[in-house]
Parts: sequence; C-alpha cells; structure tokens
Amino acid sequence: MKTISISHLARVEGAGGVTATIDGQVVTDVKFIINEGPRLFERLTIGKTPEEDLNIVPRICAICTLSHRYAALRALEKALAIKEPPKVLLLRELMHLGEMIESHSLHVYLLALPDYLGYPNAIAMASKYGFEAKVGLEMKQFGNHIMKTLSGRFVHGENPILGGFGRFPTREELVFIKNRAVQFLPFALKTVQLMCELPYPEIPESDTLFVCCHPAAGQFGFMGDEVILSNGDLVDAQEYKKVTNEFIVSHSFCKRSQYDGKPYSVGALARINNLGERLEGEAGRAFKKYFNARWKKNPLFNNAAQALEILYSFERIPQVIEEALKMPDPEPVGWGRDTGKAVGAVEAPRGILFHAYDVSAGRIAHTDIVTPTAQNAEDIERYCFIAAQTLLKKGEEAKIRDRMDLVIRAFDPCISCSAHMVQVKQAPNEDWKTRLQELASGGETAFVGLGREDRSDDAAGLELARLLRDRGSKNVRLAEDLSEETAPAVGTRPLVFLDAVDFGEKPGKICLLPLRFVLWNTSLSHRLAALTGLPLDSEQLLGAHLLGIQPASIAEGGPISAEVREAMNEILEMLGN
Amino acid sequence: MRIVKLKKEYFHPFLDVISRQAELWAPVKKGDKHIFDRVEDFNRIEMKTTRTLLPPKKLLVPPAFNTFTFNAEGYQEDLSHVSSKILFGIHPCDIHGLLTLDKLFMHEYTDPYYVKARQKTLILGLSCWPDEYCFAKSTRTHIIDEGFDLFFTDLEDFFLVWVGSSQGDDLLRMKPDLFEETLSDSDIQRYIRWQTERDKAYRTEINFMAMPDLMELKYKAPFWEEAGRACLACGSCSMVCPTCNCYNVLDKLALGGKPGRRLRLWDSCTLVEYSEVAGGENFREHKADRLRLWYTHKLQAYVSKYGKPSCVGCGRCLVTCPVEINVRTISKALEGEDPKAFWYRLPSEVKP
Amino acid sequence: MKKDKLKIGIYELTGCAGDALLILDCEDELINIFHAADIRSFLMAKSDNIDGELDVALVEGSVSTERDLQELLDIRKRSKVLVAIGLCATAGGNQAAFLDPREWEDNLKKVYGRTEMTHTKPLQSKPLNAYVKVDHYLPGCPIDREQFLSTLTRLLAGHPPELHRFPVCVECKWRENDCLLNRGILCLGPLTAAGCRAVCPSHNLPCVGCWGPAEEANYTAEYQLLMEKGFDREMILRKMSTFSGTAIADFAARIRGVKK
Repeated sequence: MKTISISHLARVEGAGGVTATIDGQVVTDVKFIINEGPRLFERLTIGKTPEEDLNIVPRICAICTLSHRYAALRALEKALAIKEPPKVLLLRELMHLGEMIESHSLHVYLLALPDYLGYPNAIAMASKYGFEAKVGLEMKQFGNHIMKTLSGRFVHGENPILGGFGRFPTREELVFIKNRAVQFLPFALKTVQLMCELPYPEIPESDTLFVCCHPAAGQFGFMGDEVILSNGDLVDAQEYKKVTNEFIVSHSFCKRSQYDGKPYSVGALARINNLGERLEGEAGRAFKKYFNARWKKNPLFNNAAQALEILYSFERIPQVIEEALKMPDPEPVGWGRDTGKAVGAVEAPRGILFHAYDVSAGRIAHTDIVTPTAQNAEDIERYCFIAAQTLLKKGEEAKIRDRMDLVIRAFDPCISCSAHMVQVKQAPNEDWKTRLQELASGGETAFVGLGREDRSDDAAGLELARLLRDRGSKNVRLAEDLSEETAPAVGTRPLVFLDAVDFGEKPGKICLLPLRFVLWNTSLSHRLAALTGLPLDSEQLLGAHLLGIQPASIAEGGPISAEVREAMNEILEMLGN
Repeated sequence: MRIVKLKKEYFHPFLDVISRQAELWAPVKKGDKHIFDRVEDFNRIEMKTTRTLLPPKKLLVPPAFNTFTFNAEGYQEDLSHVSSKILFGIHPCDIHGLLTLDKLFMHEYTDPYYVKARQKTLILGLSCWPDEYCFAKSTRTHIIDEGFDLFFTDLEDFFLVWVGSSQGDDLLRMKPDLFEETLSDSDIQRYIRWQTERDKAYRTEINFMAMPDLMELKYKAPFWEEAGRACLACGSCSMVCPTCNCYNVLDKLALGGKPGRRLRLWDSCTLVEYSEVAGGENFREHKADRLRLWYTHKLQAYVSKYGKPSCVGCGRCLVTCPVEINVRTISKALEGEDPKAFWYRLPSEVKP
Repeated sequence: MKKDKLKIGIYELTGCAGDALLILDCEDELINIFHAADIRSFLMAKSDNIDGELDVALVEGSVSTERDLQELLDIRKRSKVLVAIGLCATAGGNQAAFLDPREWEDNLKKVYGRTEMTHTKPLQSKPLNAYVKVDHYLPGCPIDREQFLSTLTRLLAGHPPELHRFPVCVECKWRENDCLLNRGILCLGPLTAAGCRAVCPSHNLPCVGCWGPAEEANYTAEYQLLMEKGFDREMILRKMSTFSGTAIADFAARIRGVKK
C-alpha cells in the first residue's frame, strides 16, 4: 500500500495538492485537496453596496481577476436594471480577451510546455527553446497590456465599474492594441501548430460532459446568457444551479441518468468541443484541421484548445476595436432599481464562472459564486484516478506521478499548478481499517450489503450484512430490503456498501474505495447500476464508500470461498472492536 | 517696458507661429478644474481660469524624475525633463512663485535640473480675475513687473501685451504685423478701469505684515496641537504650493547589468519621514511640529531673509486641504480669531 | 549556482496568488532575478523547489489555517530576513475584514456548515506579524511591480527597502488629480499607504484602501470628515475595514463603543 502525493500543487485559488492511494493493484483513493484557508468571500460581501462588492470579489483570484469582475458586473447590472451602452460591452469583451491571451499564453508556453519538452521551468526551457519562451512572454505581456489599459493595472484593476468605466481608453490606446494584435497573428498561428501537434499521451482517455457559456447569435465567445452542455442541453444562466446541482446529483447515482452519471469539465476544451464549429477565419480553419475524437475524451488537449482560443482572441481583437472606435464614450449609466436578483455567467480562462447576487435596497443580501476550478475538481480527480488505475494495470506505476501532474496542469486550475512537490509515501498495511475508523469518527456507520445469493463469493456482501445484523448492529441493511421506510436516516453518515469486487487482486483482498471511484472504473462498476434504484439521499451516496472483497469465484451455485470467508471474518472482527 | 496690442483674432495665429519653436503648454480642462498641459489644438486652451491644480513648478522640476543613471564606472546625468517650452497662461501669483523658486535654486546653490529647465522655458503670463479663495493682493503678488517674457492682459476684444524680456520681444518679431504699437486713450482707460475693478474683487484678505511676529508670539498656542490632530499628514498642501520646493532622493538599483537610477521626488515637511534621521530619531515626530515648521517657512522665515512671505496668495492650499488647514485658517487662528476650521469640530473622545 | 548569491524563497499562504503572479509578471526582469539570486523555492514559477536555510523569504497571504501557521513558523525559522509581501501578509487582507472573532466564526459556519475540515484547521485570517517577527513590509493588493523590483534589488545589495511612508494623496497630487474627497466622494486616499501611483483616483475612482493603512493613517479625522459629508457611520467603517485588515479593529471598536 502506498500513497503517491503531490502535496504542493500550490495554487488552486490557493494551495492545493493531490494524493493517490494505491493498494496492490487498486487505486483506492484520489484526493484533490484545496489547502486554501477559509476566506469567506461570499460572506464578506453581505450588507455591502454593489460597488463595494466589485472591490472585493475580484480578489478571490488574481489570475481570473477580470473574469470575476466581469461576472459580478453582469450579474449586478442585470439585478439593478443597468443598461450597458454598446461601447461598454465591446470594451469589456476586449478586456476579457486580454485576460484570455494573458492566462492562456502563460499556461501554454511557460507552464505546460516545459513539461512536454522536459524542463523544470520556463527559464530552464528558454536556454534551448528561446523562441518559444520569448513568444509566450510577449503574448502574455500583450495580454497584460490590454488588461492594464482597460482595468487600470495588471491585477485587481478597479476601472471597470457598473455601467461603464472610470476612465475610457483613448483612441490612441485602442489603435495601438489593434495594430499589435494584427502583428501577433503569425505567432498565434504558430502557437496553434505547436500545441495541436504535440504527442499527447493516450492515458487518461474517457468521455466527459463539457459545459460552457452559450454565446448569442451563433458566435464563438466567452460569455452568454445561457449555458450549453455537450449533450445538447441548453440551460438559462439564471438557472445555473440546475447545472451545478446536477453535477452533484450526477455523482450520486440517484439522478445520474440526467447526465449519464458523469462529472463535467469546463474550460477551453469544453468551449472548443461545444462551440468549435462556430470558429471562423484562421481559428476556424485550424479547428477543422486539428479537431478529432480524442479532443472529446482526453483532458490533455486542453492545451491545444487554449492555443486555438489564443488565435481566436487575436483575430477577434481588431474586430472589437473597429466597432468600438465608431462609438463615442458614453455617459455614466444610473441604476434602474435598487432591488433585484440575477446571475452573471462568463467564461474565465479556465472555465465557466457564475456570480449570483440578491440585492435589496442597494445592499447585497445574498452572494453565490461558483468558480471553474470548483466545477472541474471532480473531473480532475476522476481523470487522475483513471490515469493512475490504467497505468497501474499496465504495470507502469512509475509513470503515475508525472501523469497525474500533467492531467492536473492541463486543466490549468490556476497558475501555480505548474509547480509542485511530489512525494511517494509507503503507507501501512491494511489501510482499509484505519480509513474505516476515520469514517466512523463522522458518526455511526451505516452498512448496506450488495450481491447475488446464488453466485458463490458474490454473496459475500449480503452474507456479511446478515452476520453484522445478527451480531446486533442496528444500522445494517440488505439492498433488496431497502425501502423508503428502511433506508438509513437522511444525514446519517457515513454510508458503506459491502460487496464482492473484482479488483484483479488475489482472492480475499480487502479494499475501501469512495463509491464514485467505482463508477469511474468501468471494470469495477458492473453492478452499481442497481444502486440507482435505491431510495437513498443523494448526498449520502456522494460521500459513500465501498468495502470490497476480491472474490475467488462468482460462478453460479457455489459456496463462499475460504479466502473470502477469512476476509469477512477479518472485517467482522475489526467492526466488532 | 514695451506694451503692444493684440487683437483677439490674431491670438491663435500668433500661437501658431511661436509654437513651431517650442512645446506650447497652457491651461486646459481636467474635469471641471484646470491643469497645464502640452497643447497642439489651441481651442483646448482655457483663457478664463483661476488656479490650475498644480502650479507651473511641475514643468521645471517634475514631481518624480530621474536625475542620473549610475553603474560601477560612474554616472550619467539625465536631463530628459528639460525641453524648450513656452508656458502660456501663467497668472501673476504663479510667476511670483517661480521667482521664489529662482531665488532658491538659481542663486546661492544652483540646481542644474532647475536651472537648465528654467533657461529653456519662456513665460507668457496672462491676467486673471480673483475668486473667493485668491488673496494675492494681500501678498502683493497680484501684479507682476518681472519674471515673464510676455504678459497678456485680457481686455475682452484685445490683449495688452507687456514685453518683459528680449526673448519675449523676439517672439513678437516673428510675426510683427499681428501687433499694434500704438494704444489709443480709450484702450488705456479700459485697462485702468479693469485694473481698478480687479483690485476691488479680492474678497480674502490676510494681514501678512503681522504674521512673522504672530508666528513667534503664538508658537506655543494650543491650536497647533489641535490642527496637528486633524492633519491627515497627506502632504497635499506642499504638493500644490507654488513655492514648496523640498525633495527626496531615492536610489533605484537594477538587475542584469543595467544602470541604477537616482530619483528626485517632491517631498513635504508635513510628512513623517521628513525630519527623521539615521538611527530612527525624528525631530518632528508630531504633526503639530511639522505644521508649525511649514507655516514658519511660509509666514516668517522667508520674510526675514527676502522681505516678503513665501506665500503668493494663489489659494491652492485653501481649495486643496480636505481638513481646512490652510494659510487662511492658520492666519486667523494666529490672529486670535475663530477660523471655524475642521480641527475645532474634531471630537476629542476618539483619540487613535 | 554560485555560492555568494543570496538564497531566496517565495511562498504563498492563503490569498489570491496575486503577489506571486505580479512577480511572475516581472517577465524579462524575472530572468535577471533568477540570475542575480539563488531562487530556492517559488512554486508558481518552478518545480525543483528546495526547502532549507534562506537569506530572504518573501511571504504572501494571510495566516488562515493551522497549516499556514506551521509553514510560516518553519519559514521564519530558516530565514534570516522575512518580508511580508502583499496586503494579506502585511495587514491581513480582505479576509481579515471580520474583526470580531465571533462574527468570523458565525460566518465560517454559514459557509462550511457543520462540515469538519479534516486536512487542516481554519484560523481567523491574520497578517504575518500576528505570529512571527516581520523584517520588512511590501504592501499592496497586489504588490506593485516597480516597488517589488526596487525592494528586491535593495535586499540583494544588502540594503533595507525604501518604500513610500506617506499616503496615496501625495502620489495623487503628483498625477494632478482633483481631490475626490473634496468633491464629496468617499475616498480612502489619506488613510492608505502610497505605492500604487494613485491608480484609482487617476481613473476617476475613489481609493478603496488596497495598499493597507499608511504609517500615520488618521482614522479619526477621516471619519469625522466623512460624517460631515453626510456618509453613514457603518458605511464609513465598512469601507475603512475592507482592506485595512486587523489595523482598524481598535478604531472601529472605539467608534462603535463611543457612539453606542
């Protein structure tokens, strides 16, 4: 049993880390931990004015500062019935394109590329790949320049305000940006070629659901009043909780039919998957040339998708500026009302970002902010798990650590994910015991036995549940006995399923896994479809675990094998204590 | 002194000719206030202004500029702030301000950064009309007979132009046919009437004669402490004062073999760092002491050396200090009057 | 790596990563920094990080978890000079705006419910000097590129940093802005440390205080002034506390105590 841990993934809007626990041939746990301390930002905005909210919320994340400001502006302007003049909308798009270029070129060239070229950082990479490092840096500087011009400074600029800007950029400033953008085009094309032709590894590959903003009028773009899902669904951004909730639900077996029981991905790859057909010009040509089925299931292609978006942004900037230059600087726009409720959705570089506000008499009464990294977290864990499990099965355990790194960084959760400290630790034997005890510290554990009576070792889960019940444990159920009345009380945690599971291990091996991991692993989830019918609270299922025993045989009509019997006894003994 | 007449319609043609020689700087709008700015479109020039936000000293010694670059081998002077400039639209009080700076920077210890900029700057003064904050008449700086190259008195249809230097005269000679050499009696009467009216328009008066004595006699008056408690220590009074000239020096080092820079930044004796010395000792730790220093300099010390106050009555401290510590309130307090100033309204129960 | 280069570590506790990002934004200068100093640890820029003895540690973020605290204590122990960079480290930052521990705890519960954090224990956000000796402060939300470079170059040359000790108003005057306070706008310039070149007033926007309190911040005068201009008491205190972190706690308590 060992733990592969990337303990300093550093920045995920704070510090983060990843741990994969490996027990023999089974990856029993992957945890994407955000070590960020509690900052209580949503609470900090309560009772404050919308203007004060705009001072505070961009500080949630320095890397997506303008996306936060943009999402908050969209939500608050809708809530307060502020009608943005067309020039304001164009200049906001420009500032957002600046952030896209800044963030993507930093990620693509300076953070991701060193991985593929085999360097610890961009500065080391620059010694051999000076051109790439230079182009990346110049693009990033240009993105910064746009952000600074429109927002007032590199990070946390206050210039974009409700209804407009504190100071509008001058004609000269806009013309400069436009001309520079045109000059960058050949380099943007080169970026696409470089990033789309990298030999991305095939592990992990697995279908997912992509979610992004749905721009109006058939355009590609980074904001919209609707959310589009790769299954074709469209959801009004005001109803964002349908999407974010359904994500939780989709893990929880109960309602997974909605999205096929899968976590979802947001970010450049989601946008290119959902909207790539809409790209025009050079970006459109590049999309047709490079996009293929692997982009739908391999998160590493996010790097390529970001390159396409860099190209799109450079093509879009001159159009935006041409339009804006035709319009005079508008007068400040007043509030239409002081009470209202609305959601603003924009695409941060790393995915869809929601800001929801309830404003009452000019003061914020409720705030809900859903960040892209929070939405990606489940898929990050899932792909890490798949990568780890697949490599383990192939006997390439040594590659696990670096591959998980690559996966996490591809999601671009935030900048410092470029850097990390990776540790491999040897964990004690029979770790399932320790973890079961840890679970029990959260309350009395409820057990549910699963299995088929007539299939030798496959009856182990049912038999174990019966034995536990016979020994007087109250919180034990058999799956087939579960009904609305007999289900463990809502809120009871933890919940552990007992079952025979083919881990590909030696018979009698005991493993404790988060239930949703079993779902992510097609070779293990042969029977879990049955769980969807159980009358269990979705949150309980989300946090549930599976205590599995490797069967010797699941042939029809046989008895439970000696090895599995022994494992059952071991479990009974442990639970008896 | 030579005085000529310039019809209003010839004003822009005149600017057009002279602005080919040097950068033209003049008052333009910034929001509803005014600043001196580089002007290429003459329609931007504001002719009827009171005070600009900053006095024209900003063009001779900018608020923050590099004096020289240095490396291990030596240093190289940086005079990039120096360029040929024509400053149009400077009022008499601000010209007096420049004359005060001349005394400090051009005589005993010459300051090359000031001197070089000053030598390349032509001063084209412009008459003005006082508002309720102007008290230049009290400081005798509302009229001017030196320190300019040309001075324009605006008499609605035309300007009377005083020629104050040979360089000013050279400017006229660039397009002499724009100017009329002979003034009619009615022109002269118009000017005299205008001047008399203007003299009467000053509403704020301060008895500067009494100030040097009062500064000594009231050096320990309790109002200093109270004003000190109200002071935001924000330095704004010094920044906007046409005669404040103190500066700080900051060395900026650089990496990668690039030269370092020695910056010169406007400073103020009202700021905490000003009187601090090596080892952390501060001679004027309390804001009251610093305010006293500032006003000693404006109202007393300069008088004993040059026979006049170093305040030119521009009123900038009156309109700038958010907490009403200015030459008017302080002089009132010195005279024993109630200046109805902010510091008397500041509650005493919350003392941070 | 030459032996005589100063060993430098750049660390991030709880915050938005804006200061580390700003260091990264030094771009071409970054290469010079890597040449001039021995950058032992900088998570955002490199992956081959080493813990160990340091000449200078630059620490961003507030102490907001037990883990932050342990990391900070460890950094302090192995560093000769510790520099707090960014508002969260110098003053506590946005997240330190809940001044009363009970208020903080209530809000913590409202966000995280009954869920017990297993990976680390949350702490009420505080600046670094609440726990360790801080040798120098580089304020700003985020820090300013020029100020950072000038601080770093001075430290590399063995000199203490030279930062502005006056409030934003000085730089605001340098940029010849009309005083927003005098126009009746709630501007915190007089209370806020300079260093940003008065960026907000230069965009016609009031200073929100993101550089943290200036050395001589006169809360009493500013408060009285704003009251006279017709702002409401809670609005003023709220604005003042948004970015002042723990520095305003005493003043706010006094005002609330006095007026109640």
